[in-house]
Amino acid sequence: MTGYRGFALRRGGQAVVVVLLAYVFTFWVISVLPGDPVTTTLRNPQNGFTEEEIARIVSYYGLDRPVLVQLLESLGRFLTGDLGVSLRSNRSVADMIGEVLPSTLVLAASSLAIAVVLSFLVAFGVQYLPKPFSTALRSVPSLFLSVPGFLIGLLLIQVFSFGLGLFRAIDTDGPVATFFAALTLGIWVSAQIAEVLIANLDHEAAQDYAGVARSRGLGQVRLLLRHLLKPSALPVVTVLALMIGEVLGGAVITEAVFGRTGIGSLVERSVASQDLPVLQAVVTLAAVVFVVVNLLADLVYPLLDPRVTLQRRPEVGAAA
Amino acid sequence: MTLTSLTGPTTATRRRRTWRVPPTVLVSFLVVALVVGWSVAPGVFSTQDPVNGVPADLFAAPSGAHWFGTDHLGRDEFARVVHGTASSVSSALVAVAIGLVVGGLIGLLAGFLGGLVDTVLARFVDVLLAIPSFLLAVVIVSALGFQTINAAIATGVSAVAVFARVLRSEVLKARSAVFVEAALVLGGSRWHVLLRHVLPNASRSVVQLAVLQFGLSILVIAALAFLGYGDPPPASDWGLLISAGREYPLAPWLVWAPALVTIVTVLSVNRISRWLRKTD
Amino acid sequence: MAPQDRLSVTLPRPEVARPLMAVRGLRVAYGGHEVVSGVDFELGAGRSLALIGESGSGKSTIARALLRLLPSAGRASGSVELAGREILGLPERRFRSLRGRTLGFVPQDPGNALNPVRTIGAQALEAADLVDGLAKEDRHEAVLDTFAQVGLTDPARVWASYPHQLSGGMLQRVLIGLAVLPRPALLVADEPTSALDVTIQKRILDLLSGLREDLGISLLLITHDLAIAAERADSLVVLKDGVIQEAGPTAEVFARPASDYARRLHADVPALNPARYAALRDGRDPASPAKIEVQGVTKTFGSLTAVDDVSFAVPAGTTHALVGESGSGKTTAIRLLLGLEQPDSGRIVVAGEELHGRSHESLRSVRRHLQLVYQNPYTSLDPTWKVERLVREPLDRYRIGSARERGTLVRETLRAVGLSEELVSRKPSALSGGQRQRVAIARALVLRPDVIVLDEPTSALDVSVQAEIVETLLRLQAELGLTYVFVSHDLSLVRQLAHTVSVMRHGRVVEQGTVASIFDSPREEYTRTLLDSLPVGAA
Repeated sequence: MTGYRGFALRRGGQAVVVVLLAYVFTFWVISVLPGDPVTTTLRNPQNGFTEEEIARIVSYYGLDRPVLVQLLESLGRFLTGDLGVSLRSNRSVADMIGEVLPSTLVLAASSLAIAVVLSFLVAFGVQYLPKPFSTALRSVPSLFLSVPGFLIGLLLIQVFSFGLGLFRAIDTDGPVATFFAALTLGIWVSAQIAEVLIANLDHEAAQDYAGVARSRGLGQVRLLLRHLLKPSALPVVTVLALMIGEVLGGAVITEAVFGRTGIGSLVERSVASQDLPVLQAVVTLAAVVFVVVNLLADLVYPLLDPRVTLQRRPEVGAAA
Repeated sequence: MTLTSLTGPTTATRRRRTWRVPPTVLVSFLVVALVVGWSVAPGVFSTQDPVNGVPADLFAAPSGAHWFGTDHLGRDEFARVVHGTASSVSSALVAVAIGLVVGGLIGLLAGFLGGLVDTVLARFVDVLLAIPSFLLAVVIVSALGFQTINAAIATGVSAVAVFARVLRSEVLKARSAVFVEAALVLGGSRWHVLLRHVLPNASRSVVQLAVLQFGLSILVIAALAFLGYGDPPPASDWGLLISAGREYPLAPWLVWAPALVTIVTVLSVNRISRWLRKTD
Repeated sequence: MAPQDRLSVTLPRPEVARPLMAVRGLRVAYGGHEVVSGVDFELGAGRSLALIGESGSGKSTIARALLRLLPSAGRASGSVELAGREILGLPERRFRSLRGRTLGFVPQDPGNALNPVRTIGAQALEAADLVDGLAKEDRHEAVLDTFAQVGLTDPARVWASYPHQLSGGMLQRVLIGLAVLPRPALLVADEPTSALDVTIQKRILDLLSGLREDLGISLLLITHDLAIAAERADSLVVLKDGVIQEAGPTAEVFARPASDYARRLHADVPALNPARYAALRDGRDPASPAKIEVQGVTKTFGSLTAVDDVSFAVPAGTTHALVGESGSGKTTAIRLLLGLEQPDSGRIVVAGEELHGRSHESLRSVRRHLQLVYQNPYTSLDPTWKVERLVREPLDRYRIGSARERGTLVRETLRAVGLSEELVSRKPSALSGGQRQRVAIARALVLRPDVIVLDEPTSALDVSVQAEIVETLLRLQAELGLTYVFVSHDLSLVRQLAHTVSVMRHGRVVEQGTVASIFDSPREEYTRTLLDSLPVGAA
């Protein structure tokens, strides 16, 4: 099957397979835990489960049945949207995630926006600023890639919260604090994108067509905007899609640094209390997000970039 | 056949590759050598005790006696940083090794064999890519225990995907190279061509990637240690030191010393990686 | 006159006593390294000048220096006057208004000269913007008119297409159209046809000449081809390593070259010296038994028929040439000959062995006597191997002789192809294109095969390097009795070294026979068209 439709179907099929495999993989990793932390959690008198509740949970999760059966049942539930029940709080995992997800999404989205803006500013600066500045600016992204993200967060808190008092370390879900948290994550993401963008712009500027366009009297600005920008920026879509997982991970870390509530704090609590269903659900959801985002990117990209061909052409020796 | 633009040195500009090493790269090598020295033989570089401190000396600012100052228990911070290097840096090496060996093998097999093997392996790699490395690390560390080595294993598992992808595409590129077909015409068997032509060309970019991943792994493991997913105190992983130092804003050197050491190390590693890419 | 009318009328050019462009003492340096050293020339209004040189001569650098489009590391000094006005020292802002309007540019490789992610039309508007006084809404029409003027049959379709959807010839017409649209006084054409097929080359050059006469535009033609330069230019400047070797009116320089270099260049151009290797080439016995027989071979790839019922035979010890333009199927034909592809039908017999349907392993014994030299010396050698190992590889694979014997054989072969022994420990990246190709030839030769197939082995090389390699090939054939199958698009080269020729087009053999019969009395129209496209130098 050739053509866009065949490509879309193939890619979609791959995506489904990957999601299923991700679920199985997570399940397997968790079930390989030494000891039986589920029972340990349940039987821990501090958690206060009654015998009835324990029996019910055990039968609900099929904990007394073979692993493969557990997996299949669990997968079945997942596909119908039932993410399970928290071992610790007895609440639906879906509800728990739904509570904290918006905060994380806000953080991730705003940091992506900041990242795109910052990286384009840096890339334009490298193209336009006079020599000493642009050379210095070139090494800025790689400098930031050598700094741990959480350190940037600490620095921002130090300067803007403790130093200038722009936001209080306690009230970390307010807009100002959110901005700085997004800035932390955004700086780190923008460093990656800026490197790709600068490299692409350099590459495109060295292409023949750029010289020919300049021979038609185009100045630097028009050359950049009309010719170099589109072919340089389009691959950034792919890069961003691949980075989604790291963005989510980075959001978790940033939340920890800024003390925000979000998926990060949920994960932390669940790790501390070994609340496995929550962990499994979070990881699987993250994988689903990644797969969906990349699927969309792969489907949309050929429509934007005429350089990309989808069909596999036969190996022709004497191609015209 | 239209003449494609062919690049290469002309008779007039034949240049032999010069191995002049830029000064920043030399400095980077020195830094990395120093850090490796710290991790292998910490006792040589610091004679003070990283675990038991002198309570009377607590919160001393950096000075001649204590290069990085002391912490809340009076322990010499420099000694703590030096002794923490072993787990911070060698764990990164473990991560890269796992990624390189397992990921490299997967990429090579997928590229060489193609077909069904390629499709199946590609899906596994997609799964590893899809799970954020940080979350995977959290899960694995929770499962295996709160030690830095487990964080390293987790980071390595995530790195498998990166290496597998790169190796696969390099193998595919090398397989379709003209000189590979030429070798077949010259009487080479498929095995000979794969081992002697495809493999050496495909692995050229691996070294540079491994160095890059080494730097990244240091950062990831530091982040994990910062959040507590590493060796517990009294260990002195760099990330853990930063996290501990955060508690004492009146002694900023407790944060800045390990932070700067981390940054300078990763900067040097990245510089080396970029230099390797240029000389390829 | 109304702006639209400007485009269909020749602008009256004032009679200037001064030349349109005068270059004095032009020097260009990259870093500390000078690539153009003190070049002088003049170009009159409405006249044409050709800058001739091989690679590294600085000719393209001069073109870029005139347009002030050197890479950032380049520094130009000296004097360049355009209509009496010094332009080399103008601030960029002032000079930019000259680019395109007064100084036009036609690039070498049309495939890369347009932005691949934007439509032709969108980019064409930039050229239309250069026409002063042209209203915005009239730009579209002006561009379509220009497309028609350069011979594009469906201007509207071209407007809406992306570059990768058009052929090389069409793209070059577009670029020429965009360059002449603003009616510049001077057009700089940097090897405008070297990336195109030979029949299209002639048409594009005719187009340029026609436009030049109709519109009164001066032409600065950059080329490596002396014959083309002599045909199309009023005066010539011959360059080597950034220094002028000879300059003057075409008739003089071409007919009576004064400098050694120009004389050598003249002698190296195949089109101008058809009988150069006659002594070396002739004397083969055309009646010797056929070493290679190809009978009724067909190969299709999906819906594309690459090779269609092709038959030819090659007597032992002679050179058979497969000539054609791109898409003619000549490369597929030799890949079938080497067993790299399997034919759909037909027979291929090499040295008495049938090639049809044999696996890679069983072909090994055939390949012992049938070797290949690829077109591109930059991709056919493993960059991680040293020269010695590269040339020794076939001996190792076929287990010929002891280790020491192999080493000796390698050195002998390298000497035979004209490479010095000190190159054995180098890697390909340290060699020039010509040297690399000699290594490839040595590698094919070291087994002492009966047949060597050469796929355009010199098309990537300078004409002087090409001449040396052709001489080496013919010498080896005389000494060792080799049979060659030589693929080329260059008919004049074929005339120099081949005994028999097959002319191919769209996968079919149009005509074949001895070199003499093809060149002196071609029967088919396509063959005649090909022959007509050969530049013959000054009329």
